Amino acid sequence: MSEPKNSLKKPVSAKKVILRVLLYFVVLDVCVITLYPYFVMFCTALKSRAEIFSMNGTVLPITAVWSNFIDIWKRAPMAKYLLNSVLIAGGSTLIAMICGIPAAYALARMKFKGQTAFLGFIIVSQMFAPVVLLIGIYKVMMSLHMTNSIIGLIFINAAFNQAFTVWLLRGTFLGISPEMEQAAKIDGCNKMQAMFRVLLPVAAPGIVTTLIFIFINAWNEYTVALTLISADTLKPLTVGINIFNGYNMIEWQYLFAASLFAVIPVVILFMCIEKNLVSGLASGGVKG
Amino acid sequence: MKKKWRTAEPYLWILPSVILMAIFIIVPIFYVFKMAVSDVSKTGKIRGFAGFENFSSVLSDASFGMVMKNTLIWTVAVVGLSTILGFMLALILNNKFRGRKIARAIVVFPWATTLVIQASVWNFIINTDYGTLNTLLLRLGIIHQAINWTPTPAAYFAWEIACGIFVTIPFVTFTVLSGLQSIDNSFYEAATVDGANYWQKLFKITIPLVRPSLTVSTVLNIIYVFNSFPIIWTMTKGDPANHTDTLVTYLYKLAFYNGRQGEAAAVSVIGFLFLLICASAYMISTLKKEGK
Amino acid sequence: MKKFVALLLALTMILALGACGNSDKASDGKVELNVIAAQYGTNTAAWWDNFVKEFEAEYENIDLNVEVVSWNDISTKVNTRISNDEAPDILNIDVFADYQADGLLLPAKDYVSEETYNKMYPAFLEQSEIDGTVWAIPDLASARALYYNVDILKAADVEVPTTWDELTAACKALKEYDSNIYPWGIDMTTDEGQAAFAYYTWNNGGGFVDEDGNWTLNSAENVEAIEYAIGLVNAGYTNTDPATETRYALQDLFCAGQLAMMIAPNQLSGLAKAANINFAVAEIPSNTGESVSAGVMDRFMCFDNGYSDEELEAIKTFFDFFYDDARYSDWVIMEDFLPATSTGGEIMAAADESAAAWVDIVGSSKFYPTAKAEWADVKQGVIKAEQTALLGGSVKDALDELQAQIAGS
Repeated sequence: MSEPKNSLKKPVSAKKVILRVLLYFVVLDVCVITLYPYFVMFCTALKSRAEIFSMNGTVLPITAVWSNFIDIWKRAPMAKYLLNSVLIAGGSTLIAMICGIPAAYALARMKFKGQTAFLGFIIVSQMFAPVVLLIGIYKVMMSLHMTNSIIGLIFINAAFNQAFTVWLLRGTFLGISPEMEQAAKIDGCNKMQAMFRVLLPVAAPGIVTTLIFIFINAWNEYTVALTLISADTLKPLTVGINIFNGYNMIEWQYLFAASLFAVIPVVILFMCIEKNLVSGLASGGVKG
Repeated sequence: MKKKWRTAEPYLWILPSVILMAIFIIVPIFYVFKMAVSDVSKTGKIRGFAGFENFSSVLSDASFGMVMKNTLIWTVAVVGLSTILGFMLALILNNKFRGRKIARAIVVFPWATTLVIQASVWNFIINTDYGTLNTLLLRLGIIHQAINWTPTPAAYFAWEIACGIFVTIPFVTFTVLSGLQSIDNSFYEAATVDGANYWQKLFKITIPLVRPSLTVSTVLNIIYVFNSFPIIWTMTKGDPANHTDTLVTYLYKLAFYNGRQGEAAAVSVIGFLFLLICASAYMISTLKKEGK
Repeated sequence: MKKFVALLLALTMILALGACGNSDKASDGKVELNVIAAQYGTNTAAWWDNFVKEFEAEYENIDLNVEVVSWNDISTKVNTRISNDEAPDILNIDVFADYQADGLLLPAKDYVSEETYNKMYPAFLEQSEIDGTVWAIPDLASARALYYNVDILKAADVEVPTTWDELTAACKALKEYDSNIYPWGIDMTTDEGQAAFAYYTWNNGGGFVDEDGNWTLNSAENVEAIEYAIGLVNAGYTNTDPATETRYALQDLFCAGQLAMMIAPNQLSGLAKAANINFAVAEIPSNTGESVSAGVMDRFMCFDNGYSDEELEAIKTFFDFFYDDARYSDWVIMEDFLPATSTGGEIMAAADESAAAWVDIVGSSKFYPTAKAEWADVKQGVIKAEQTALLGGSVKDALDELQAQIAGS
């Protein structure tokens, strides 16, 4: 991206072609680097244990052990783990949104005492690592009788993601002119209706970003789930795959195979809602 | 009556959020403060009030200075570089091109894997003996002898930082991308008419308009990275001799390996105060800039 | 917008389903026993599953819950629960002294029937003794010995070393034979660096404590021993990075034929066999003429949760059931461990000759002083001292400082 500025004088098409090529080059590089660890994961998941640690190793497996991908389903209740992860991540996203959207709306559209204090409070609430809070969290969950439940985990994940949800949505709402909502109100909508029908559709890019953020964070959460959940049938995938992590050896091939499966739902979810990242504004055709 | 409703209404709107955080975060935080000033037994039972004893014994540990320094380097390097790289990536992905949908989905990948696994893969890549980076370079004929990628603690720490950057970029990229969507295209059209080039548009329009969403995500990013645990724990556990420890791995060892939960709580309070000061300073300075 | 609402509805329904899935079990008059057990390997969870099924089939009035937790996380989990007064009834873990110090445990004789108690090796029970009372019972043991790659040593024309001088010479010869092979494996990581401390100091007449149980971390023997180990690293005879390469990593290197010798527990036999390595086992090289093996022992302990007679009876039943000879040998063999009961030892020795040798080794092993209150700090302290030395620091200074810190506090 460092071509000389006087390139403006050259025929526009030539410059465009160079830029295009450069763009694809950069994008390709980024993709290759990003996927490299996954490539390694995939190759390792396909190798036999002996091959993983062999001297003079090869990048690709010499004999691909596809059965590793099937074995994990037999050796651990993977389907159950995946379902639990979906429940936890989905539930956390839902609760975080239900609590976060009204708060962000109030912060963006209303004036009230303690507004700044509330915004500060949200940030401050994030300043302790979950690892540190474990004992306290466990105490709270015990008094709520939620120590060994998915619901409990959902609330915690939702709480830990409030800061991002509220701040990002507030920013998004502030960036949208209130005129349309006012018009809707004149048409007889109440605040709630105006928010749902007018504001939220326009705010789609911010909402989608927040959704992905919460979902992924809850999907990847490990420490709290580990401490709170004791029944095997309630474990999310991140905790469940510990079964491949033994006293004397770690079964990398299984651990990685299982982790590859864990990526799939996230990417699918992302692909489904990705288009909202692009065509958010009602006016359309935003970018050049 | 209506007036009373007007004053009360905003508080009702924020109530669910406040309750959620109060119960599940603020109560546990109070418990941390309580532990920090208590005499806590090895199994975590509170025996009595200890004043600032936990703090003084933590601060008198010779390695604490190094741990603090590591934490700073870790946070600044990971947040700084991932913000710059993530921002650039967002600008690139904001262009229309064939395969953009796939490219965007690929960028999500590093984010979609739990950090313990991600860090384990990095261990597999950089390992001297069976690491795939050496294998790859050897097979390609670029090197002829396996290279030790982690000859010193500093080198190891650098790899950990690289891994941290790698997994943080998607977060920055998507925050910026969502910010970019809300920029009205007419700004650019007007600028083009005025003969502005790409860089002028970038610095005069894009960056100032994306900054508000970037400010917040950077502050949150600082907090998340400062408190990040799995990468360092998986790769080195802070070894050797605290040279790759950050506050969180250090306090984890204190709490669960040495059984000194009171001191661990004290470390987290120190970390909290530090973050509080830094984050407030950052917020105030950027908000001032925005005000101008 | 409709889609959005539909999505919300769908999520709510999923949630509702999830909520139904974890309603509390009704405790219909049954005695409930909660056990947290360490996950030794991939078979552990299945083994316990089966155990619970058999147990509950035989004792219908007992509701047994066993939670298997990986070693990485078990102390985090247990400590979190204890500080919230939610201790399990029975815990299977490596250490016990901290729990005892807080007065959380019951004496072993209170919860183990006499018959079962008498099956245990007395030497093992002594390891769990504080102030004349035994607080925990051993569930299994393992011991360490020298593993070597027969093919590599033969090809390099190197004899199995028994003394430190021979060890140094063997390393030198192996290095000259093939510079791509690591002659000797050392693990000084936070994972298990205390084991390295034990291997070298015990085989140099030193150790963590003297005969009266006082800490002697900076004894001349200890300093010499650790300096010797660091010397091996600095001479280039070991794996590249002993501060971050755990025993798992070394075992993987050994099984890949890239490491000639290392000290490891008996489980390595199974792994090395599976990897087609021609290996053999010998005594750990010693500088005193008498080789000392390092034993590791894990335990069961019972938390004092104010039991009724009925509950205490249920706990005794649990242990009788667990230490039933056939079931117990199955437990030990399942993950390749060594038995902690004399009856188990006899069964195992009779079944497998190589196991008999290991049963002997474990009988003559030394154990970490885990019954001492300062053990956690000592363990972390010696690891840090080793790593400081790896970075070029003085072994003596580091150990002096540690001794002052531990003995002074």
